[in-house]
Amino acid sequence: MNNAKSLKNLERDMFRNSVQDGILDIQLGLMLLMFVLPIYLSPSLGDFWSSVVFLPLWLLVIFGLRAFRKKVVHPRVGTIQYGAYRKKRLVRTNIIILVVNVIALILGILSFFQFNIVSGWVISARFSVIILIGFSLAGYMLDFPRIYLYGILISAAPIVGEYLYQNFGASHHGFPITFGFLSAALTTTGLIILIRLLKKYPPHDKEGLV
Amino acid sequence: MSENETPENPLADLDQIIHAPARLRILMMLYVVESLDYVFLKNQTAMSWGNLATHLNKLEDAGYIGVKKGYQGKKPQSQILLTPQGRTAFRNYKSTLQQVLDDLPE
Repeated sequence: MNNAKSLKNLERDMFRNSVQDGILDIQLGLMLLMFVLPIYLSPSLGDFWSSVVFLPLWLLVIFGLRAFRKKVVHPRVGTIQYGAYRKKRLVRTNIIILVVNVIALILGILSFFQFNIVSGWVISARFSVIILIGFSLAGYMLDFPRIYLYGILISAAPIVGEYLYQNFGASHHGFPITFGFLSAALTTTGLIILIRLLKKYPPHDKEGLV
Repeated sequence: MSENETPENPLADLDQIIHAPARLRILMMLYVVESLDYVFLKNQTAMSWGNLATHLNKLEDAGYIGVKKGYQGKKPQSQILLTPQGRTAFRNYKSTLQQVLDDLPE
């Protein structure tokens, strides 16, 4: 095998081992609840406040998971400071995620004003494309194959939801069903990965190390 | 070559501190990152603490690795890193080994 390639693969494997703790999957799964929970909160809180209330809850979840990673996962798995190559890729990924979010926000605002003018299929297709592009780029930049699968599943959700709405009368364009199902699937996957990891790496006893 | 002549050892030029498989693996890992901690290194190499400590001591004595003392919260957390001398030694080892392998007949 080519020398440089094997070192590159080693770096990639080390990166994957340092981040494949399931917490990203859980975060993503709980983030998808953003498309479900406000729908059920809006009858009592109204459209605006139901969305606003979700934000601090979401931040609480992120901080909780990060604290869990720091206090429970890192002492078992260990920590790593990435090299320049990986740091550059992570910065690029963050830029991509930021750009995708800004585009999604613009599309969301546009859809709000075009709600009765443009077909639901068009609005769903727009979101699907941007989700697919965003996840594919993030999967490529992070060397994280599972992200591609998540991208395909999440990008299919608005279209499947629209289909359920048009053909079976599912409420709220089928979002509670499709995103609810995906949220449960991703969170469960993350939990399984996390539990397996915690079983594989019990707490360390560093007494042997002088 | 006469009968009494000892064949030249093509691996003689290789840095013997790096050439041990366990230490080579440690250096390869350190070469591609900025630093890592003992726990991560132990998990990745599947060595015992004692074995890991022995190899790390040899590498540290040769000046190839260094330890950056730090804290995570209130707990001490040391990170192991490759020194500039270690990085140069690893590059030299890599090119020497590559040369030896390239010189082998097909």
